[in-house]
Amino acid sequence: MLSKIVKSGLTRRTFLQSTAAAAAASSLPRMALAQDKVIKIGFLAPLTGAVAAWGKPGLDGCEIWAERVNAAGGIKLSDGNYMVEFVGYDNEYDPAKARTGATKLIREDGVSFIMMLGGDTWPGVQPVADKTGMLFSTLLPSDLSPDTTTLIAPAEVHPIYNVTGVEWLAENKPELKTAVMCAQDDALGLPSVATYLAAFEAAGIEMLDEPLLFDPATTDFAPVVTKLIAGNPDIVCLDTCYSDYVHPIAEQLFQQGFKGQIISCTADFYDQMISKTSEEFMEGFVFQFPDFDDPALNADNINFSDPNGFYAEFNKRFPGQWGAVSWEYASIMDLWKAAAEKAGSAEPDAVITAMKDGQGKHAFGDADWWGEELFGINNALVGDWPVVAIEGGKATIKEFRNIPAWYEKHGDLLVKHMQAYDQMWNQRG
Amino acid sequence: MRNFLIFLAGAAALLALPHGLSFSQQEILVFLTINILLVSSYRLLTLTGEWSLGHVVIMGVGAYASALLSKKLGVYVPVSILLGGIISALLAVVLSFPLFRMKGFYFLIGSFAAGEIIRLLWKRFRDPFGGAKGIKGIDPMPDFSIGIYDFDFFEPVSYYYLSVVVVAACLWILWRIERSPVGLTFHAVHWQDKLAEASGVNLRAYRTLAFSIASGFAGISGGLLAHYIGTINPNSFDVEVMVFVLTWAIVGGTSTFYGPILGCIVLTVLNEIVLRELGFEQMRPLIYGAIMILSILFMPKGLESVVQKIFSRRAKP
Repeated sequence: MLSKIVKSGLTRRTFLQSTAAAAAASSLPRMALAQDKVIKIGFLAPLTGAVAAWGKPGLDGCEIWAERVNAAGGIKLSDGNYMVEFVGYDNEYDPAKARTGATKLIREDGVSFIMMLGGDTWPGVQPVADKTGMLFSTLLPSDLSPDTTTLIAPAEVHPIYNVTGVEWLAENKPELKTAVMCAQDDALGLPSVATYLAAFEAAGIEMLDEPLLFDPATTDFAPVVTKLIAGNPDIVCLDTCYSDYVHPIAEQLFQQGFKGQIISCTADFYDQMISKTSEEFMEGFVFQFPDFDDPALNADNINFSDPNGFYAEFNKRFPGQWGAVSWEYASIMDLWKAAAEKAGSAEPDAVITAMKDGQGKHAFGDADWWGEELFGINNALVGDWPVVAIEGGKATIKEFRNIPAWYEKHGDLLVKHMQAYDQMWNQRG
Repeated sequence: MRNFLIFLAGAAALLALPHGLSFSQQEILVFLTINILLVSSYRLLTLTGEWSLGHVVIMGVGAYASALLSKKLGVYVPVSILLGGIISALLAVVLSFPLFRMKGFYFLIGSFAAGEIIRLLWKRFRDPFGGAKGIKGIDPMPDFSIGIYDFDFFEPVSYYYLSVVVVAACLWILWRIERSPVGLTFHAVHWQDKLAEASGVNLRAYRTLAFSIASGFAGISGGLLAHYIGTINPNSFDVEVMVFVLTWAIVGGTSTFYGPILGCIVLTVLNEIVLRELGFEQMRPLIYGAIMILSILFMPKGLESVVQKIFSRRAKP
């Protein structure tokens, strides 16, 4: 009987309204004490385990973002100002735990929006998203498909931006002619492999061997690196390896005497890599994620608010913890806040409509909603992306490059390699 | 009559249990129920004295088989779960040929290697296994109504009721097996293998039997998991998950039927509910590890020894 009542009345809107009301009711005493209306935002990402480096620094960044926004009066909706509060749930990069976390955040905490890392965890959450209509964000647009209408990728178009690093290398170091690549054999590594292959082909750089895919459980990288550099390549590409792999691989490259160019999607905690190798060895290491004290981020077209101040505050509170995702979730919140204020509401339907109305203010400049050809849906915000190189022991932005411009010229190559690795939206699952 | 009343009270408690929990706790309850079957099936294997590191992968075999049968061949989901269990059991029979040439520590390592080979095959063959990304959009259990209750299997309460019935039936079968002459022979294979062999017991055949029965039930638990979360990938069944199964069994104890179940319940509640609710979200691995070390130091015979002590004290006049 009970289930009949629940079932008959369970539309997306009533579901969200009732859970929000229940959550609001449960937090009444605290709200009354604080004299503030509160909007809760869910943070559903790995906070422990091997992938925690792409979750935990993001939550830390969000806490700084929330303090800044709250100090400035909060989020201004049609019925008044709201303070922002983040509710975290450690999904341990496990789809079952991600499902539990999504259920808790929506049905118990009454959040208005949930940010995720995505990847392996998204398919566990998708039925919850479908049922509730909750708006989710991912850092991995490879989660997008025509079915994921309430999933957006507004911060990074992993792994497509990796093409900018290779393109920059080809133009600035034309003497580099050959490359090899290694990656962990998982949902994060494979689309990135396809992207780098397309980028190298577009740049006229020859792959000496097939990409070397290692198991995510690998701990000894000496044989991996030995095999990788056996052909004496000009470039070693570390794909989108987790920092737990990038560090030991870089160490092995150093110990085995590699003198060539290294390119990687990320170089989280690169200061530790320098201390384990040498400043000379790491000089010129190319990757895609800047430190936010970089002067290039003070340009007028950058939409991230006070990047230098944000970076200083982050490092003050979490010394040595700055990583690829430290700013990304906060930049998603900038977009969400702007859309909610434009819509005058935190309702997921209203926010996504306002968000996708025209160009989006991406952290690195205004960008377009894009991706139908690759992802089957235009829910990825794509524009410029920085190419970063380590110079004198410090990450330095070398240039911003436009991703859609690259895709216009070489999109067929990307589609070809994505298809070869079964990574197109209609090939997945 | 007394047993019947205890059964009724137990059934009523299991029926009422999810309604006293929050939504997320109901979700955890579903996974806990499935894991109880997994760890109980693991115990059956340990009766013969062999500890495997491939049990979670065998669970995955059931999950993959059930998912593929329902998704690619349109097999009715409850039937596909059962077939998933049967396929796991048959695979265990095949694996037993190389694995039972080894014993003890060598079997442990051999089972780990066999499991890793299976996981690599899932990754390597994107068709049909989906590669590293695995399979998603797995058919859910079809909803149905029994008049007084509508089963909507998206809802954790409905899926819990289904799981609890399946798991209870499986546990009853496992219990009956252990109490049967076959189960007693499993004990003999472990503790008195030379004597058993001298009495005409085919040690290898009984080890294979225990391995395949345990794998069959692990496969059913995998099928239950796959059709609930709707997605599986090779990492869902890696050695890290196996370590959890081992700790449930070790902390709970394996000398009684309820020991591993107790370990599974206590550690899951501790890790997924208590530590999260206390705000130790990011410190859980540290605290969980410390509690495990302490429990092994101070309760070397497992949680079951505490229960036994309590009941033996009560039994004394």
